[in-house]
Amino acid sequence: MPEPAGCLSIEGLTKRFGGFYALNDLTMQVAQGHIHALIGPNGAGKTTFFNLVTGVLAADAGRIVFEGAEVADTRPSRRTIRGIARTFQNIRLFPHLTVLETVMIGEHCRYYPSVWKGLRDTVLHRPFGEAADERTMRTSALELLAFFGLADQRDAKASDLPYGDQRKLEMARALATRPRLLLLDEPAAGMNPHETEELDVVITRIRDRGVTIVLVEHDMGLVMGISDRITVLNFGTRIADGSPREIQDHPAVIEAYLGEDATP
Amino acid sequence: MFEGLFDGYTRSILIFAGINVMAAYSFYVPFKTGQVSLGQAGFMAVGAYASAILTQKFGIPFAVALVFGGAASGVIGVLVGFPALRIKGIYLLLLTLGFSEIVQVIALSWDYVGGAQGFRQIKFNRYTLDYLAVLIPLLIWFFARLERSSLGRAMDSIHQDETAAEVMGIDVVRTKLFAFGLGAMIAGFAGALYAHHATYMDSSTFNIMTAVEILMFVVIGGASTYWGPLLGALFLTLLPEFLRTLREWLELVPVAWTGFFPANRAYDFLHDFLDFENAKRLIVYGIILIVMMILRPDGLLTREQLRRFSLARLGRRHA
Repeated sequence: MPEPAGCLSIEGLTKRFGGFYALNDLTMQVAQGHIHALIGPNGAGKTTFFNLVTGVLAADAGRIVFEGAEVADTRPSRRTIRGIARTFQNIRLFPHLTVLETVMIGEHCRYYPSVWKGLRDTVLHRPFGEAADERTMRTSALELLAFFGLADQRDAKASDLPYGDQRKLEMARALATRPRLLLLDEPAAGMNPHETEELDVVITRIRDRGVTIVLVEHDMGLVMGISDRITVLNFGTRIADGSPREIQDHPAVIEAYLGEDATP
Repeated sequence: MFEGLFDGYTRSILIFAGINVMAAYSFYVPFKTGQVSLGQAGFMAVGAYASAILTQKFGIPFAVALVFGGAASGVIGVLVGFPALRIKGIYLLLLTLGFSEIVQVIALSWDYVGGAQGFRQIKFNRYTLDYLAVLIPLLIWFFARLERSSLGRAMDSIHQDETAAEVMGIDVVRTKLFAFGLGAMIAGFAGALYAHHATYMDSSTFNIMTAVEILMFVVIGGASTYWGPLLGALFLTLLPEFLRTLREWLELVPVAWTGFFPANRAYDFLHDFLDFENAKRLIVYGIILIVMMILRPDGLLTREQLRRFSLARLGRRHA
Protein backbone atom coordinates (compact mmCIF):
# COMPACT_ATOMS: atom_id res chain seq x y z
CA MET A 1 0.00 0.00 0.00
CA PRO A 2 1.47 3.39 -0.98
CA GLU A 3 2.04 5.98 1.76
CA PRO A 4 -0.64 8.71 1.73
CA ALA A 5 0.53 12.10 0.45
CA GLY A 6 2.23 14.34 3.03
CA CYS A 7 0.29 17.34 4.34
CA LEU A 8 2.72 18.70 6.89
CA SER A 9 6.37 17.81 7.05
CA ILE A 10 8.56 18.91 9.95
CA GLU A 11 12.33 18.66 9.80
CA GLY A 12 14.71 19.38 12.65
CA LEU A 13 12.35 21.81 14.35
CA THR A 14 13.96 23.43 17.39
CA LYS A 15 12.76 26.06 19.84
CA ARG A 16 14.74 27.26 22.85
CA PHE A 17 13.53 29.42 25.71
CA GLY A 18 16.85 30.55 27.20
CA GLY A 19 18.70 27.32 27.90
CA PHE A 20 15.54 25.21 27.89
CA TYR A 21 14.74 23.25 24.76
CA ALA A 22 10.97 23.29 24.35
CA LEU A 23 11.42 21.43 21.09
CA ASN A 24 14.66 19.76 20.11
CA ASP A 25 15.32 18.68 16.54
CA LEU A 26 11.81 17.34 15.98
CA THR A 27 11.15 15.57 12.71
CA MET A 28 7.72 14.24 11.83
CA GLN A 29 5.32 13.75 8.95
CA VAL A 30 1.59 14.31 9.02
CA ALA A 31 -0.17 12.44 6.24
CA GLN A 32 -3.00 13.95 4.22
CA GLY A 33 -6.44 13.08 5.62
CA HIS A 34 -5.13 11.64 8.89
CA ILE A 35 -6.06 12.38 12.44
CA HIS A 36 -2.58 12.62 13.86
CA ALA A 37 -2.39 12.79 17.63
CA LEU A 38 0.48 14.45 19.45
CA ILE A 39 0.73 13.27 23.04
CA GLY A 40 3.18 13.51 25.87
CA PRO A 41 3.45 14.64 29.48
CA ASN A 42 2.95 18.31 30.40
CA GLY A 43 5.79 20.46 29.13
CA ALA A 44 6.69 18.01 26.39
CA GLY A 45 6.47 20.77 23.77
CA LYS A 46 3.08 20.07 22.21
CA THR A 47 1.71 23.59 22.42
CA THR A 48 5.10 25.00 21.39
CA PHE A 49 4.80 22.81 18.30
CA PHE A 50 1.43 24.40 17.48
CA ASN A 51 2.82 27.88 18.07
CA LEU A 52 5.69 27.21 15.67
CA VAL A 53 3.52 25.66 12.95
CA THR A 54 1.04 28.56 13.06
CA GLY A 55 3.80 31.17 13.34
CA VAL A 56 2.79 32.56 16.74
CA LEU A 57 6.40 31.85 17.74
CA ALA A 58 9.43 31.83 15.46
CA ALA A 59 11.48 28.62 15.32
CA ASP A 60 15.21 28.70 16.13
CA ALA A 61 15.97 26.04 13.55
CA GLY A 62 14.22 23.63 11.27
CA ARG A 63 11.82 23.50 8.38
CA ILE A 64 8.02 23.55 8.36
CA VAL A 65 6.75 22.39 5.00
CA PHE A 66 3.02 22.60 4.38
CA GLU A 67 1.71 21.01 1.17
CA GLY A 68 5.15 21.14 -0.36
CA ALA A 69 5.93 24.77 0.47
CA GLU A 70 8.11 26.10 3.26
CA VAL A 71 6.10 28.33 5.60
CA ALA A 72 8.62 29.07 8.36
CA ASP A 73 9.13 32.69 7.23
CA THR A 74 5.49 33.62 6.65
CA ARG A 75 3.32 35.59 9.04
CA PRO A 76 0.58 33.72 10.94
CA SER A 77 -2.21 35.32 8.90
CA ARG A 78 -0.58 34.23 5.64
CA ARG A 79 -0.29 30.67 6.93
CA THR A 80 -3.98 30.71 7.79
CA ILE A 81 -4.76 31.86 4.26
CA ARG A 82 -2.59 29.01 2.96
CA GLY A 83 -4.80 26.62 4.93
CA ILE A 84 -3.51 26.10 8.47
CA ALA A 85 -5.92 26.79 11.34
CA ARG A 86 -5.83 26.11 15.06
CA THR A 87 -7.65 26.30 18.36
CA PHE A 88 -6.09 27.44 21.60
CA GLN A 89 -5.58 25.39 24.73
CA ASN A 90 -6.41 28.37 26.94
CA ILE A 91 -9.51 29.50 25.07
CA ARG A 92 -8.92 32.74 23.17
CA LEU A 93 -12.29 33.92 21.96
CA PHE A 94 -13.03 37.57 21.34
CA PRO A 95 -14.92 38.41 24.54
CA HIS A 96 -17.15 41.18 23.18
CA LEU A 97 -18.18 39.55 19.90
CA THR A 98 -21.31 37.44 19.58
CA VAL A 99 -21.13 33.76 18.68
CA LEU A 100 -22.09 34.46 15.09
CA GLU A 101 -19.63 37.35 14.76
CA THR A 102 -16.88 35.14 16.12
CA VAL A 103 -17.35 32.60 13.34
CA MET A 104 -17.59 35.39 10.77
CA ILE A 105 -14.15 36.56 11.89
CA GLY A 106 -12.89 33.18 10.74
CA GLU A 107 -14.61 33.67 7.37
CA HIS A 108 -13.10 37.15 6.99
CA CYS A 109 -9.79 36.02 5.48
CA ARG A 110 -11.55 34.14 2.66
CA TYR A 111 -13.77 37.03 1.62
CA TYR A 112 -11.66 40.04 2.54
CA PRO A 113 -8.02 39.14 1.94
CA SER A 114 -7.15 42.85 1.60
CA VAL A 115 -8.06 45.85 3.70
CA TRP A 116 -9.05 47.71 0.53
CA LYS A 117 -11.71 45.22 -0.37
CA GLY A 118 -12.99 45.50 3.19
CA LEU A 119 -13.07 49.28 2.89
CA ARG A 120 -14.74 49.15 -0.52
CA ASP A 121 -17.51 46.91 0.77
CA THR A 122 -17.92 49.11 3.83
CA VAL A 123 -18.48 52.21 1.73
CA LEU A 124 -19.99 50.94 -1.51
CA HIS A 125 -23.06 48.83 -1.16
CA ARG A 126 -26.79 49.53 -1.20
CA PRO A 127 -27.68 52.26 1.32
CA PHE A 128 -29.66 50.10 3.72
CA GLY A 129 -28.52 46.64 2.68
CA GLU A 130 -25.36 44.71 3.30
CA ALA A 131 -22.55 43.63 1.03
CA ALA A 132 -23.22 40.41 -0.88
CA ASP A 133 -20.15 38.74 0.62
CA GLU A 134 -21.34 39.68 4.08
CA ARG A 135 -24.56 37.75 3.50
CA THR A 136 -22.68 34.72 2.17
CA MET A 137 -20.41 34.84 5.19
CA ARG A 138 -23.38 34.90 7.55
CA THR A 139 -25.02 31.96 5.81
CA SER A 140 -21.97 29.74 5.92
CA ALA A 141 -21.18 30.83 9.49
CA LEU A 142 -24.69 29.75 10.50
CA GLU A 143 -24.13 26.38 8.80
CA LEU A 144 -20.97 25.89 10.83
CA LEU A 145 -22.76 26.85 14.04
CA ALA A 146 -25.48 24.32 13.21
CA PHE A 147 -22.79 21.68 12.67
CA PHE A 148 -21.55 22.30 16.21
CA GLY A 149 -25.06 22.66 17.65
CA LEU A 150 -24.52 26.31 18.55
CA ALA A 151 -27.01 27.90 16.16
CA ASP A 152 -29.44 28.79 18.96
CA GLN A 153 -26.81 30.82 20.78
CA ARG A 154 -25.78 32.86 17.75
CA ASP A 155 -26.57 36.21 19.40
CA ALA A 156 -25.04 35.37 22.79
CA LYS A 157 -21.72 36.91 23.71
CA ALA A 158 -18.91 34.44 23.11
CA SER A 159 -17.61 34.87 26.64
CA ASP A 160 -21.05 34.05 28.13
CA LEU A 161 -21.10 30.52 26.70
CA PRO A 162 -20.45 27.51 28.95
CA TYR A 163 -16.92 26.18 28.79
CA GLY A 164 -17.64 23.20 26.56
CA ASP A 165 -19.50 25.39 24.07
CA GLN A 166 -16.60 27.86 24.02
CA ARG A 167 -14.33 25.01 22.93
CA LYS A 168 -16.77 24.10 20.19
CA LEU A 169 -16.97 27.75 19.14
CA GLU A 170 -13.18 27.85 18.87
CA MET A 171 -13.34 24.88 16.52
CA ALA A 172 -16.12 26.50 14.49
CA ARG A 173 -14.07 29.71 14.19
CA ALA A 174 -11.01 27.76 13.07
CA LEU A 175 -13.03 25.77 10.53
CA ALA A 176 -14.51 28.99 9.17
CA THR A 177 -11.07 29.87 7.78
CA ARG A 178 -11.53 26.80 5.49
CA PRO A 179 -8.35 25.05 6.58
CA ARG A 180 -6.83 21.94 5.04
CA LEU A 181 -4.83 21.38 8.21
CA LEU A 182 -6.49 21.89 11.60
CA LEU A 183 -4.50 21.93 14.84
CA LEU A 184 -6.68 21.14 17.85
CA ASP A 185 -5.10 21.98 21.20
CA GLU A 186 -6.79 19.89 23.92
CA PRO A 187 -10.33 20.17 22.55
CA ALA A 188 -11.73 17.87 25.28
CA ALA A 189 -10.26 19.80 28.22
CA GLY A 190 -13.05 20.83 30.57
CA MET A 191 -15.70 18.80 28.72
CA ASN A 192 -17.87 16.24 30.48
CA PRO A 193 -17.76 12.57 29.33
CA HIS A 194 -20.88 12.99 27.24
CA GLU A 195 -19.45 16.03 25.44
CA THR A 196 -16.17 14.19 24.87
CA GLU A 197 -18.09 11.38 23.20
CA GLU A 198 -19.76 13.91 20.90
CA LEU A 199 -16.37 15.43 20.17
CA ASP A 200 -15.21 12.06 18.92
CA VAL A 201 -17.88 12.15 16.22
CA VAL A 202 -17.30 15.83 15.43
CA ILE A 203 -13.55 15.41 14.88
CA THR A 204 -14.05 12.36 12.70
CA ARG A 205 -16.62 14.25 10.62
CA ILE A 206 -14.22 17.16 10.18
CA ARG A 207 -11.58 14.69 8.96
CA ASP A 208 -14.13 13.20 6.57
CA ARG A 209 -14.66 16.66 5.07
CA GLY A 210 -11.05 16.40 3.91
CA VAL A 211 -9.33 18.30 6.71
CA THR A 212 -6.13 16.82 8.08
CA ILE A 213 -6.08 17.08 11.86
CA VAL A 214 -3.26 17.29 14.38
CA LEU A 215 -4.68 16.64 17.81
CA VAL A 216 -3.07 17.44 21.13
CA GLU A 217 -5.10 15.76 23.86
CA HIS A 218 -4.75 14.22 27.28
CA ASP A 219 -7.93 12.15 27.10
CA MET A 220 -6.40 8.82 26.05
CA GLY A 221 -9.77 7.23 25.34
CA LEU A 222 -10.43 9.90 22.72
CA VAL A 223 -6.91 9.77 21.30
CA MET A 224 -6.73 5.99 20.97
CA GLY A 225 -10.24 5.83 19.54
CA ILE A 226 -9.94 8.24 16.63
CA SER A 227 -6.25 8.67 15.77
CA ASP A 228 -4.76 7.21 12.61
CA ARG A 229 -1.28 7.85 13.87
CA ILE A 230 0.26 9.02 17.14
CA THR A 231 3.52 10.83 17.86
CA VAL A 232 4.74 10.87 21.45
CA LEU A 233 6.86 13.76 22.70
CA ASN A 234 8.85 14.03 25.88
CA PHE A 235 11.14 16.94 26.79
CA GLY A 236 10.86 18.32 23.27
CA THR A 237 11.96 15.19 21.47
CA ARG A 238 10.05 12.45 19.72
CA ILE A 239 10.17 9.21 21.68
CA ALA A 240 7.73 7.15 19.67
CA ASP A 241 5.67 7.24 16.51
CA GLY A 242 3.12 4.76 15.24
CA SER A 243 -0.44 3.50 15.19
CA PRO A 244 -2.50 3.62 18.42
CA ARG A 245 -1.82 -0.12 18.96
CA GLU A 246 1.94 0.27 18.61
CA ILE A 247 2.00 3.27 20.94
CA GLN A 248 0.00 1.57 23.67
CA ASP A 249 2.59 -1.18 23.96
CA HIS A 250 5.67 0.99 23.40
CA PRO A 251 8.07 0.68 26.37
CA ALA A 252 9.41 4.27 26.02
CA VAL A 253 5.86 5.64 26.17
CA ILE A 254 4.95 3.68 29.26
CA GLU A 255 8.16 4.85 30.86
CA ALA A 256 7.53 8.51 29.99
CA TYR A 257 4.02 8.39 31.40
CA LEU A 258 4.43 6.14 34.40
CA GLY A 259 8.13 6.31 35.30
CA GLU A 260 10.93 3.81 34.83
CA ASP A 261 9.83 1.25 37.41
CA ALA A 262 6.54 0.64 35.69
CA THR A 263 8.24 -0.94 32.67
CA PRO A 264 7.12 -4.56 32.70
CA MET B 1 -26.05 77.60 4.90
CA PHE B 2 -26.48 78.73 8.50
CA GLU B 3 -26.41 82.49 7.87
CA GLY B 4 -28.58 84.25 10.42
CA LEU B 5 -29.66 81.00 12.04
CA PHE B 6 -27.33 81.32 15.01
CA ASP B 7 -25.77 84.33 16.69
CA GLY B 8 -22.00 84.57 16.52
CA TYR B 9 -21.51 83.14 19.97
CA THR B 10 -23.60 80.01 19.44
CA ARG B 11 -22.01 79.60 16.07
CA SER B 12 -18.52 79.66 17.50
CA ILE B 13 -19.45 77.11 20.18
CA LEU B 14 -20.98 74.81 17.58
CA ILE B 15 -17.84 75.06 15.46
CA PHE B 16 -15.56 74.12 18.34
CA ALA B 17 -17.90 71.29 19.31
CA GLY B 18 -17.83 70.05 15.71
CA ILE B 19 -14.04 70.18 15.48
CA ASN B 20 -13.85 68.30 18.78
CA VAL B 21 -16.23 65.65 17.46
CA MET B 22 -13.93 65.13 14.48
CA ALA B 23 -10.90 64.95 16.76
CA ALA B 24 -12.71 62.38 18.91
CA TYR B 25 -13.39 60.24 15.83
CA SER B 26 -9.74 60.55 14.83
CA PHE B 27 -8.87 58.92 18.15
CA TYR B 28 -11.63 56.36 17.85
CA VAL B 29 -10.43 54.76 14.58
CA PRO B 30 -6.98 53.57 15.74
CA PHE B 31 -8.51 52.76 19.12
CA LYS B 32 -10.89 50.37 17.38
CA THR B 33 -7.82 48.25 16.60
CA GLY B 34 -6.51 48.64 20.16
CA GLN B 35 -4.07 51.49 19.49
CA VAL B 36 -4.25 54.28 22.08
CA SER B 37 -2.77 57.42 20.55
CA LEU B 38 -1.76 60.65 22.23
CA GLY B 39 -0.57 61.85 18.84
CA GLN B 40 -3.90 63.08 17.54
CA ALA B 41 -3.04 66.67 18.55
CA GLY B 42 0.15 66.32 16.51
CA PHE B 43 -1.82 65.11 13.51
CA MET B 44 -4.22 68.04 13.90
CA ALA B 45 -1.17 70.32 13.86
CA VAL B 46 0.13 68.69 10.68
CA GLY B 47 -3.22 69.23 8.95
CA ALA B 48 -3.53 72.76 10.29
CA TYR B 49 -0.05 73.92 9.29
CA ALA B 50 -0.03 72.12 5.93
CA SER B 51 -3.35 73.63 4.89
CA ALA B 52 -2.53 77.10 6.26
CA ILE B 53 0.75 77.15 4.31
CA LEU B 54 -1.18 76.38 1.15
CA THR B 55 -3.86 79.02 1.63
CA GLN B 56 -1.65 81.75 3.02
CA LYS B 57 1.63 81.33 1.15
CA PHE B 58 0.33 79.98 -2.14
CA GLY B 59 -3.18 81.41 -2.27
CA ILE B 60 -4.73 78.01 -2.86
CA PRO B 61 -8.50 77.80 -2.14
CA PHE B 62 -9.43 76.42 1.26
CA ALA B 63 -11.33 73.39 -0.05
CA VAL B 64 -8.20 72.15 -1.85
CA ALA B 65 -5.96 72.96 1.10
CA LEU B 66 -8.30 71.05 3.41
CA VAL B 67 -8.03 67.91 1.32
CA PHE B 68 -4.28 68.31 1.10
CA GLY B 69 -3.94 68.91 4.86
CA GLY B 70 -5.91 65.75 5.61
CA ALA B 71 -3.92 63.74 3.10
CA ALA B 72 -0.56 64.99 4.42
CA SER B 73 -1.57 64.08 7.94
CA GLY B 74 -2.79 60.66 6.75
CA VAL B 75 0.52 59.90 5.05
CA ILE B 76 2.47 60.90 8.14
CA GLY B 77 0.02 58.82 10.16
CA VAL B 78 0.92 55.72 8.19
CA LEU B 79 4.63 56.49 8.65
CA VAL B 80 4.17 56.85 12.42
CA GLY B 81 1.95 53.78 12.31
CA PHE B 82 4.83 51.52 11.26
CA PRO B 83 6.85 51.78 14.49
CA ALA B 84 3.55 51.85 16.37
CA LEU B 85 2.75 48.34 15.10
CA ARG B 86 5.24 46.66 17.32
CA ILE B 87 4.44 48.32 20.59
CA LYS B 88 1.43 48.48 22.85
CA GLY B 89 -0.07 50.17 25.85
CA ILE B 90 1.99 52.71 27.69
CA TYR B 91 4.87 52.48 25.19
CA LEU B 92 2.57 53.36 22.34
CA LEU B 93 1.29 56.31 24.38
CA LEU B 94 4.86 57.52 24.79
CA LEU B 95 5.70 57.04 21.13
CA THR B 96 2.67 59.00 19.94
CA LEU B 97 3.28 61.64 22.59
CA GLY B 98 6.85 61.92 21.33
CA PHE B 99 5.51 62.43 17.82
CA SER B 100 3.30 65.29 19.05
CA GLU B 101 6.29 66.89 20.77
CA ILE B 102 8.36 66.67 17.57
CA VAL B 103 5.61 68.41 15.61
CA GLN B 104 5.43 71.11 18.30
CA VAL B 105 9.18 71.71 18.23
CA ILE B 106 9.20 71.95 14.45
CA ALA B 107 6.34 74.47 14.55
CA LEU B 108 8.20 76.46 17.19
CA SER B 109 11.53 76.60 15.41
CA TRP B 110 10.44 76.92 11.79
CA ASP B 111 10.30 80.63 10.98
CA TYR B 112 8.51 80.04 7.69
CA VAL B 113 5.36 79.23 9.67
CA GLY B 114 5.92 82.01 12.19
CA GLY B 115 8.09 80.16 14.69
CA ALA B 116 7.63 81.44 18.23
CA GLN B 117 5.41 84.31 17.03
CA GLY B 118 2.90 81.82 15.77
CA PHE B 119 1.17 81.49 12.43
CA ARG B 120 -0.73 84.78 11.96
CA GLN B 121 -3.42 86.01 9.64
CA ILE B 122 -4.53 82.70 8.30
CA LYS B 123 -7.30 83.22 5.79
CA PHE B 124 -10.64 83.09 7.61
CA ASN B 125 -13.02 80.48 6.32
CA ARG B 126 -16.62 81.70 6.69
CA TYR B 127 -18.02 78.30 5.95
CA THR B 128 -16.46 76.23 8.72
CA LEU B 129 -19.86 75.32 10.13
CA ASP B 130 -21.07 74.26 6.70
CA TYR B 131 -18.03 72.04 6.21
CA LEU B 132 -18.66 70.46 9.60
CA ALA B 133 -22.33 69.99 8.77
CA VAL B 134 -21.25 67.88 5.80
CA LEU B 135 -18.20 66.12 7.23
CA ILE B 136 -19.62 64.97 10.55
CA PRO B 137 -22.72 63.22 9.15
CA LEU B 138 -20.39 61.66 6.58
CA LEU B 139 -18.15 60.35 9.37
CA ILE B 140 -21.12 59.03 11.35
CA TRP B 141 -22.44 57.31 8.23
CA PHE B 142 -19.04 55.75 7.59
CA PHE B 143 -18.64 54.49 11.15
CA ALA B 144 -22.20 53.15 11.18
CA ARG B 145 -21.30 51.11 8.13
CA LEU B 146 -17.95 50.11 9.56
CA GLU B 147 -19.61 48.77 12.70
CA ARG B 148 -21.73 46.44 10.58
CA SER B 149 -19.03 45.47 8.11
CA SER B 150 -16.50 42.68 8.08
CA LEU B 151 -13.65 45.18 8.20
CA GLY B 152 -15.07 46.77 11.34
CA ARG B 153 -15.51 43.37 12.94
CA ALA B 154 -11.92 42.50 12.07
CA MET B 155 -10.79 45.75 13.73
CA ASP B 156 -12.77 44.88 16.88
CA SER B 157 -11.22 41.42 16.98
CA ILE B 158 -7.72 42.92 16.80
CA HIS B 159 -8.60 45.15 19.74
CA GLN B 160 -9.81 42.18 21.76
CA ASP B 161 -7.06 39.65 21.02
CA GLU B 162 -4.42 40.58 18.49
CA THR B 163 -2.74 37.17 18.35
CA ALA B 164 -6.00 35.30 17.94
CA ALA B 165 -7.05 37.71 15.18
CA GLU B 166 -3.76 37.21 13.33
CA VAL B 167 -4.08 33.42 13.63
CA MET B 168 -7.61 33.66 12.21
CA GLY B 169 -6.06 35.07 9.04
CA ILE B 170 -6.70 38.77 9.61
CA ASP B 171 -3.96 40.97 8.23
CA VAL B 172 -3.28 42.70 11.54
CA VAL B 173 -0.39 44.80 10.21
CA ARG B 174 -2.26 46.38 7.31
CA THR B 175 -5.49 46.78 9.26
CA LYS B 176 -3.72 48.61 12.07
CA LEU B 177 -1.79 50.80 9.64
CA PHE B 178 -4.99 51.62 7.82
CA ALA B 179 -6.69 52.56 11.09
CA PHE B 180 -3.78 54.70 12.22
CA GLY B 181 -3.59 56.48 8.86
CA LEU B 182 -7.34 57.08 8.68
CA GLY B 183 -7.36 58.44 12.22
CA ALA B 184 -4.50 60.79 11.37
CA MET B 185 -6.32 61.95 8.25
CA ILE B 186 -9.49 62.81 10.18
CA ALA B 187 -7.35 64.69 12.71
CA GLY B 188 -5.72 66.53 9.80
CA PHE B 189 -9.13 67.67 8.53
CA ALA B 190 -10.08 68.82 12.00
CA GLY B 191 -6.82 70.76 12.32
CA ALA B 192 -7.24 72.43 8.94
CA LEU B 193 -10.78 73.52 9.85
CA TYR B 194 -9.57 74.82 13.19
CA ALA B 195 -6.71 76.85 11.70
CA HIS B 196 -8.96 78.60 9.18
CA HIS B 197 -11.56 79.38 11.80
CA ALA B 198 -9.23 80.63 14.55
CA THR B 199 -6.97 82.37 11.96
CA TYR B 200 -4.09 82.16 14.41
CA MET B 201 -2.14 79.27 15.89
CA ASP B 202 1.24 78.66 17.41
CA SER B 203 3.24 75.67 18.49
CA SER B 204 1.28 75.29 21.74
CA THR B 205 -2.16 75.35 20.11
CA PHE B 206 -2.06 71.58 19.65
CA ASN B 207 -0.28 70.46 22.78
CA ILE B 208 -0.46 67.53 25.14
CA MET B 209 -3.56 68.95 26.83
CA THR B 210 -5.32 68.84 23.46
CA ALA B 211 -4.26 65.22 23.08
CA VAL B 212 -5.50 64.32 26.56
CA GLU B 213 -8.76 66.14 25.96
CA ILE B 214 -9.33 64.15 22.76
CA LEU B 215 -8.68 60.95 24.68
CA MET B 216 -11.18 62.09 27.33
CA PHE B 217 -13.90 62.60 24.71
CA VAL B 218 -13.69 58.96 23.72
CA VAL B 219 -13.14 57.49 27.17
CA ILE B 220 -16.11 59.37 28.59
CA GLY B 221 -18.39 58.90 25.60
CA GLY B 222 -17.50 55.23 25.22
CA ALA B 223 -15.58 53.52 22.46
CA SER B 224 -17.57 50.33 21.93
CA THR B 225 -20.02 52.11 19.65
CA TYR B 226 -19.49 54.88 17.12
CA TRP B 227 -21.98 57.12 18.95
CA GLY B 228 -19.65 57.25 21.96
CA PRO B 229 -17.03 59.70 20.61
CA LEU B 230 -19.80 62.01 19.35
CA LEU B 231 -21.55 61.98 22.71
CA GLY B 232 -18.32 62.44 24.66
CA ALA B 233 -17.06 65.34 22.55
CA LEU B 234 -20.41 67.14 22.63
CA PHE B 235 -20.84 66.52 26.35
CA LEU B 236 -17.45 67.88 27.35
CA THR B 237 -17.48 70.80 24.90
CA LEU B 238 -20.97 71.93 25.76
CA LEU B 239 -20.72 71.28 29.51
CA PRO B 240 -19.49 74.82 30.36
CA GLU B 241 -22.30 76.25 28.25
CA PHE B 242 -24.90 74.18 30.08
CA LEU B 243 -23.44 75.32 33.36
CA ARG B 244 -23.71 78.94 32.25
CA THR B 245 -27.35 78.42 31.39
CA LEU B 246 -27.78 76.73 34.73
CA ARG B 247 -26.67 79.92 36.45
CA GLU B 248 -29.38 81.91 34.69
CA TRP B 249 -31.95 79.44 35.88
CA LEU B 250 -30.56 79.52 39.37
CA GLU B 251 -31.23 83.26 39.45
CA LEU B 252 -34.90 82.41 39.36
CA VAL B 253 -34.68 80.31 42.52
CA PRO B 254 -36.26 82.36 45.31
CA VAL B 255 -33.91 83.18 48.15
CA ALA B 256 -36.54 81.85 50.57
CA TRP B 257 -35.93 78.31 49.27
CA THR B 258 -32.26 78.28 50.02
CA GLY B 259 -32.35 80.24 53.27
CA PHE B 260 -30.34 83.43 53.19
CA PHE B 261 -27.93 82.43 50.40
CA PRO B 262 -28.99 83.00 46.77
CA ALA B 263 -28.53 79.84 44.68
CA ASN B 264 -26.74 81.65 41.90
CA ARG B 265 -24.17 82.93 44.38
CA ALA B 266 -23.34 79.34 45.26
CA TYR B 267 -22.89 78.69 41.60
CA ASP B 268 -20.63 81.76 41.23
CA PHE B 269 -18.49 80.54 44.08
CA LEU B 270 -18.07 77.15 42.43
CA HIS B 271 -17.50 78.80 39.10
CA ASP B 272 -14.72 81.05 40.43
CA PHE B 273 -13.18 78.11 42.17
CA LEU B 274 -13.19 75.83 39.16
CA ASP B 275 -12.93 78.51 36.48
CA PHE B 276 -14.60 76.52 33.74
CA GLU B 277 -13.28 78.50 30.82
CA ASN B 278 -9.66 78.05 31.67
CA ALA B 279 -7.11 75.44 32.55
CA LYS B 280 -8.94 74.64 35.76
CA ARG B 281 -11.64 72.89 33.76
CA LEU B 282 -9.14 70.06 33.78
CA ILE B 283 -10.02 69.68 37.45
CA VAL B 284 -13.60 69.09 36.39
CA TYR B 285 -12.41 66.66 33.73
CA GLY B 286 -10.33 64.83 36.28
CA ILE B 287 -13.28 64.50 38.64
CA ILE B 288 -15.55 63.34 35.84
CA LEU B 289 -12.92 60.84 34.75
CA ILE B 290 -12.51 59.36 38.23
CA VAL B 291 -16.26 59.07 38.71
CA MET B 292 -16.62 57.52 35.25
CA MET B 293 -13.89 54.96 35.81
CA ILE B 294 -15.67 53.84 38.96
CA LEU B 295 -19.24 53.90 37.69
CA ARG B 296 -19.01 53.36 33.95
CA PRO B 297 -15.55 52.21 32.87
CA ASP B 298 -16.79 51.52 29.33
CA GLY B 299 -18.05 55.06 28.81
CA LEU B 300 -21.48 56.66 28.92
CA LEU B 301 -22.76 54.68 25.98
CA THR B 302 -21.93 51.06 25.22
CA ARG B 303 -22.79 48.79 22.33
CA GLU B 304 -24.59 46.35 24.63
CA GLN B 305 -26.85 49.15 25.77
CA LEU B 306 -27.71 50.12 22.21
CA ARG B 307 -28.24 46.49 21.30
CA ARG B 308 -30.55 45.90 24.24
CA PHE B 309 -32.44 49.07 23.44
CA SER B 310 -32.98 48.15 19.80
CA LEU B 311 -33.92 44.57 20.72
CA ALA B 312 -36.46 45.76 23.25
CA ARG B 313 -37.97 48.12 20.71
CA LEU B 314 -38.00 45.92 17.68
CA GLY B 315 -38.38 42.67 19.55
CA ARG B 316 -37.96 40.59 16.42
CA ARG B 317 -34.26 40.08 15.74
CA HIS B 318 -33.96 37.70 18.65
CA ALA B 319 -36.92 35.53 17.71
